[in-house]
Amino acid sequence: MIKRYAALIRNAWLVDLQYRASIVLWLLWGVTEPAIALGIWWAIAGDGSVAGYARADFARYFFAVMLINQLTIAWDSWYLDRWIRDGELNYRLARPLHPAHEAVAENIAYKARTASVILVVWLIVAAAWPAVRLPLDPGRWALTLVAVLLAAAMRFFISFTTGLLAFWTTRATAIMELHAGVSLFLAGRIAPLALLPPAVAGVAGALWFRSMLAFPVDLLTGAVHGADAIVRGLASQVVWLGIWIVAYRIAWSRGIRKYGAVGG
Amino acid sequence: MTSIVAAEGLSKTFQVKVRDPGLRGAVRALFRPRYRDVLAVRDVTFRIEPGEIVAFLGPNGAGKTTTLKMLAGLLYPTSGRVEAAGFVPWTGGPPFKRRIALVLGNRQQLVWDLPPEETFLLNRAIYDIPEVDYRARLAELVTLLDLGDVLQKPVRQLSLGERMKCELVASLLHRPPLLFLDEPTLGLDVTAQEAIRRFLIEYRDRHGATVLLTSHYMQDVTALASRVLMINRGRLLYDGALDVLVARIARTKRIELVLGGDGGDGHHVTAEALAAFGEVKSFHFPNAVLEVRREDAPATSARLLAAFPVADLSIEDPPIEEVIRLAFARGMEEEQ
Repeated sequence: MIKRYAALIRNAWLVDLQYRASIVLWLLWGVTEPAIALGIWWAIAGDGSVAGYARADFARYFFAVMLINQLTIAWDSWYLDRWIRDGELNYRLARPLHPAHEAVAENIAYKARTASVILVVWLIVAAAWPAVRLPLDPGRWALTLVAVLLAAAMRFFISFTTGLLAFWTTRATAIMELHAGVSLFLAGRIAPLALLPPAVAGVAGALWFRSMLAFPVDLLTGAVHGADAIVRGLASQVVWLGIWIVAYRIAWSRGIRKYGAVGG
Repeated sequence: MTSIVAAEGLSKTFQVKVRDPGLRGAVRALFRPRYRDVLAVRDVTFRIEPGEIVAFLGPNGAGKTTTLKMLAGLLYPTSGRVEAAGFVPWTGGPPFKRRIALVLGNRQQLVWDLPPEETFLLNRAIYDIPEVDYRARLAELVTLLDLGDVLQKPVRQLSLGERMKCELVASLLHRPPLLFLDEPTLGLDVTAQEAIRRFLIEYRDRHGATVLLTSHYMQDVTALASRVLMINRGRLLYDGALDVLVARIARTKRIELVLGGDGGDGHHVTAEALAAFGEVKSFHFPNAVLEVRREDAPATSARLLAAFPVADLSIEDPPIEEVIRLAFARGMEEEQ
């Protein structure tokens, strides 16, 4: 299986190298959203603070969002929607490799490429600007790594499962757009969850949104502390990952029976 | 001999949303969707022996591709049983998929932006093909398909024919015993079509592979298939050799004459004189075409030879396209 993944990742990178301009565009997209959010909060905070967040806290928060969002984001619903509707799933189903493996390999390839660039950007900025530096605490980094892996796995299954809805509806990507819109607020992309009204933040925590992004970000910046809070956050990630895996399995086995194998 | 493919009572019903035309229809469909059952494949039964090349024949929407996709495990049948290459296709998993190749004329697996060799390397990894075997098989396929200089060009720069050849290479590197080809010559020029046909026969002869194909091109069928499965409206109308089908459907034969030769120049022969022997389909001196009842063809030929100066005489079946048209027309009559 390692050989297969190596070959899939290699091909994904070879394709990327054909389109250098698009890499830059994706990267800009990944940087722009948190940069704009940071700019707004920077202006609002002024010399004081908002709900305990001063300018430097916002800077750390959104740099962490930039990195962790790239490490956990998944585009699979768009690919799957196309595979199913255009019949590109056909030859993938005829191969002795579950199509999900190709999707996972694509994710690894994509994340390795964009996140490594963002990490370099961050290091350069941090060299000049102490506000975005993070404490070198190996324990915290290790816990963040675990949380990032759980979040990436969960977001993959969310995206893949939503993409599978294309077996039933032609609006699968619209559902994913809606989810992305909601997660703008509930996952902490536009503001730290601590700044949301408690009821809204409560919904984000009760559902999977906090586990998607805000929790690993808060873990990295130190906003989550205390063994209790960390364990509860990780446990919530594990539970929601499990729920989405079950949803994926149901959608796949039902959908594949429903599949009309478009094309010809 | 055990069959490599056995289908029994195979049926597939699709549910299709029906909608009245216009905005009102669209709105109504939004609130009260209605569905109609489309019987794509109905109670189809056949067996295929190893090494056979079998063609599915039928008009668009007849159920050819749906049947092929059920055999390849892409579609779940609504009812019926299938065994292919020793497995039930939709539960066979990777062991089954290693024993088949699926080539779709209109959906390609080659990575568009990379040279075809990158797709081959990917398949080497996906199918766990040992390096030695990979090299040997690639060399063989490249030679058979005359692909020497295209392996390093990006797929998007290849011609349609070159792409289909590369598609075949990608699908055959794991040396599957059972090939499903859906319209493998679709859109190709005559030279490329012939190259693909030659290759398929050569490949079957070398490796004993079984080939099931669908095609719109009659030449594909006559050149490749020892047997045809004729499908229309989801039903299997005929299963057997092409020439037997022709004999059954075409109740006539054509006698093609070239007048002249030793017995005189034949200028005195008239259409009326020929009409005494059979229906005159065409008469442009010195060529004449007569249609006669199948069983009368030999005797009539002898009488023609005795009656007229004949330079050349041949007995032909009617054109295959015409036979197929007749067969479908008759199949529909029987259904109604």
